[in-house]
Amino acid sequence: MRLDLRGVAVTLDGHPIVREAGLRVADGELVGLVGPNGCGKSTLLRAVYRALRPSAGLIAVDGDDVHRLPAREAARRTAVLAQEIPADLDFTVAEIVAMGRTPYKADAATDEAVCAGALDRVGLSAAAGRIFATLSGGEKQRVLLARALAQRTRLLLLDEPTSHLDIRHQLELLHLIRDLGIATLAVLHDLNQAAAFCDRLYVMNAGRVVAGGPPHEVLTPDLISEVYGVRAVRRPQLVFERLPEEP
Amino acid sequence: MTGTTTRSPAPAGHVLRGRRVSRFVLLVIALAGAAVASTWLAVSIGAVPVALPQAWGIVADRLVPGAVPRTWTPVQEQIIWEFRLPRALLALLVGAGLAVVGAVLQALVRNPLADPFLLGVSSGASFGAVLVLILGASALGGLSLSAAAFAGSLLALGLVYVLAQRAGRLTPSRLVLAGVALAYLFQAAYSFVLQLAQSGRAAQQVLFWLMGSLGGARWHLLPLPAVVLAVGVAYLLTQHRPLNALAAGEETAVSLGVNVSRFRLTLFVLTSLLVGVMVATSGAIAFVGLIVPHAARLLVGADHRRVLPVTALLGAVFLQLVDIAARTVNAPQELALSIVTALFGVPFFLWLLRRRSVDRAVTVG
Repeated sequence: MRLDLRGVAVTLDGHPIVREAGLRVADGELVGLVGPNGCGKSTLLRAVYRALRPSAGLIAVDGDDVHRLPAREAARRTAVLAQEIPADLDFTVAEIVAMGRTPYKADAATDEAVCAGALDRVGLSAAAGRIFATLSGGEKQRVLLARALAQRTRLLLLDEPTSHLDIRHQLELLHLIRDLGIATLAVLHDLNQAAAFCDRLYVMNAGRVVAGGPPHEVLTPDLISEVYGVRAVRRPQLVFERLPEEP
Repeated sequence: MTGTTTRSPAPAGHVLRGRRVSRFVLLVIALAGAAVASTWLAVSIGAVPVALPQAWGIVADRLVPGAVPRTWTPVQEQIIWEFRLPRALLALLVGAGLAVVGAVLQALVRNPLADPFLLGVSSGASFGAVLVLILGASALGGLSLSAAAFAGSLLALGLVYVLAQRAGRLTPSRLVLAGVALAYLFQAAYSFVLQLAQSGRAAQQVLFWLMGSLGGARWHLLPLPAVVLAVGVAYLLTQHRPLNALAAGEETAVSLGVNVSRFRLTLFVLTSLLVGVMVATSGAIAFVGLIVPHAARLLVGADHRRVLPVTALLGAVFLQLVDIAARTVNAPQELALSIVTALFGVPFFLWLLRRRSVDRAVTVG
């Protein structure tokens, strides 16, 4: 089991945001974490990548408590695509991706090969010399994903990776992530997309994980009306898909 | 965006890298050469002119007695060895120190407009210096001007830390707010002391000191800034990766394995000490810490592995040239250094603002 959360509670400024949350991500799985605004899903994710310390419970990556691991070792096991934009110091794409090598001992040849591979994986090899701040939103997300890939971890965390992207770039990024084959826990907003791309889903509500399993078993009209307070209706509607790849 | 958005046209792997690195090494060598040349020039220029070979001879003779035949007068020797050389060396140290602090703070508070005086430390130093200049050394238990300035900077450092920390953690916004608030407090304090003094001469002296001057440089003042700068830069050079990560964002840095709380605290103390030492010896010299890091980034990109050494050397050369200008353009009167740095700094800064979109530069935080 790559990621194993048991009874995790997180408190912010005295307010309990996450209570007794438990979930698991197995090797190679893409697991979605959904829930209404303020349900604690991003907070739970932040506790996994050590930006917050849980007040109770266990967060284990590869069987070890991440909050007891040395910072570097934790960063060699878990990479994050969060919603942070780098300071405006004119970093190039290559420099941003190279930051992914921070947890490792510097080794020019290896670092370079890993970073080139990561940029290639997200299809941005040609942009290596460009200034990050001048890229489009979709390109920026792919560069930040490349940085996470350069960390060479076997667990990836994503915090609303598709926010601010148009529908085509959302789909491109989600396909890219699914094809990585790395154990991934992704906080997602769009329930239809979550259902379409994830192997399993967890639903959070008011700080608790209230359901988990394959998307079609989890996203029932009853659960959705209970958690989101809206009615789920099945209707024929427009569905958006990528165009078939041109040969 | 009218400036270059692409730093290198061909991103192809190691070929690019090889070219960048060798360009970087050449640049460092060129800047080190410029530092030596500008220092040599600085010691020979002045009211008592000394030819370049003689200036070199005087220094060589001091380092290895009898190495060079004497072709200079004792007066020339005294001027060069006791006044101009320590002053020129101090210019290098202060220029490098202020510039490096600017580069580090811009990463620490994630804002390209940060400068060394942001954290209130220089106002604390100025307060200490004003007390000595107005009340006299005896009022402060015999503290010298630079010792009092340094004590003032430490006081400000402690206060900013107490105000900005919560449970031992520092956040950039708190650091900036606490620094700005304390800067106003110390400015009010020394303005009050100045008003009490009612001595035009002393006030003029204070004003000159606040605008920056290397005129007080003597050998015995050099070891402290030299040691603090050497230790600080040596440490920072080992930390280029965490510095890059910090510039990428706090949570990103955490996820990259950086102990952000401890690293920020270390950077805060280190930069405050550097600023305190530099301001104590030379007053508050504006613009060096703000513009030199940007110039360095234009030359070598944003990676701190290259930015830090280039910033240090560029800052040293820049302040050396500024001091030469300050001594010569209105001789025998000396200009305050901040006047000269503003002359170069403001146009560069405005150009920089136009080059990047202003919104982008000020909303990041």
